[in-house]
Amino acid sequence: MIPDLTRAVGVPRLAGISYPMGRPLGRPHDSDGQRAVLRATLELLASASGPDTYIELPFNWHESPAQARNASKDLPPPPIVELLRKKPWLLANLYSGRIPHEP
Amino acid sequence: MAIDSYRFLDFATRQVMKAWAARQEHGVIPFTPVAKPLSECTVALISTAGVARNDDRPFDQEGERRDPWWGDPSFRAIPLDTTVKDVRLHHMHIDPRFGEADLDVVLPMRRLTELSCERAVGRPAPKYYSIMGAILEPAELVEKTAPDIVARMRAENVDAAALFPA
Repeated sequence: MIPDLTRAVGVPRLAGISYPMGRPLGRPHDSDGQRAVLRATLELLASASGPDTYIELPFNWHESPAQARNASKDLPPPPIVELLRKKPWLLANLYSGRIPHEP
Repeated sequence: MAIDSYRFLDFATRQVMKAWAARQEHGVIPFTPVAKPLSECTVALISTAGVARNDDRPFDQEGERRDPWWGDPSFRAIPLDTTVKDVRLHHMHIDPRFGEADLDVVLPMRRLTELSCERAVGRPAPKYYSIMGAILEPAELVEKTAPDIVARMRAENVDAAALFPA
């Protein structure tokens, strides 16, 4: 999903996939596609020989990024996004990781 | 890297995640070789989609609404017989409808059972686990929740676990 970020945290084995958030295994009701992702992910357990092993899974999402985002356009934004719309100066905290608290 | 990690994110989220990735430092990365073939392993799954059974305590969405910098750092167990009708997804930064239409989109329980039926993996663990994603202050998650899940998995004779971020 965001393998850059997961790698930066430091994990033993990582399989990167270019799928949108909320759907790491693939499309609902696509059993074959989901099973292929799970199988390729689990194969890394045996194939990795040391820490920070990173592979990229060869699966492509069927929609463009804009189409994938549009599918969830009607949802309310997460609370942190609503807060930052009201208090945009707090975005600096989100960038830097200096986490304040509300209220 | 051939995968563009950020292509599905909106611009602001992308910038924030790039900043986090650049700032993040890790210590020694743990690695335990798998001691036996995958076809003999008991495998567990973890999802960060905030999956909780309807007969269990929900993740605390109200707490995150009160203080958007906070996220519920607890975990929920998802027994093997759980179906999509028994759960809700509580992660507030993703569209929960995909996983609530088909739980295997975030927690591939049925797919793992199929892989064990064809003997590609040994057996599914008796329980899977879920935590919330997008926890900005992960101290409790790292120091308490993760070791608690590990202790349970050890008691359940789990050989390997795969975590699926949502």
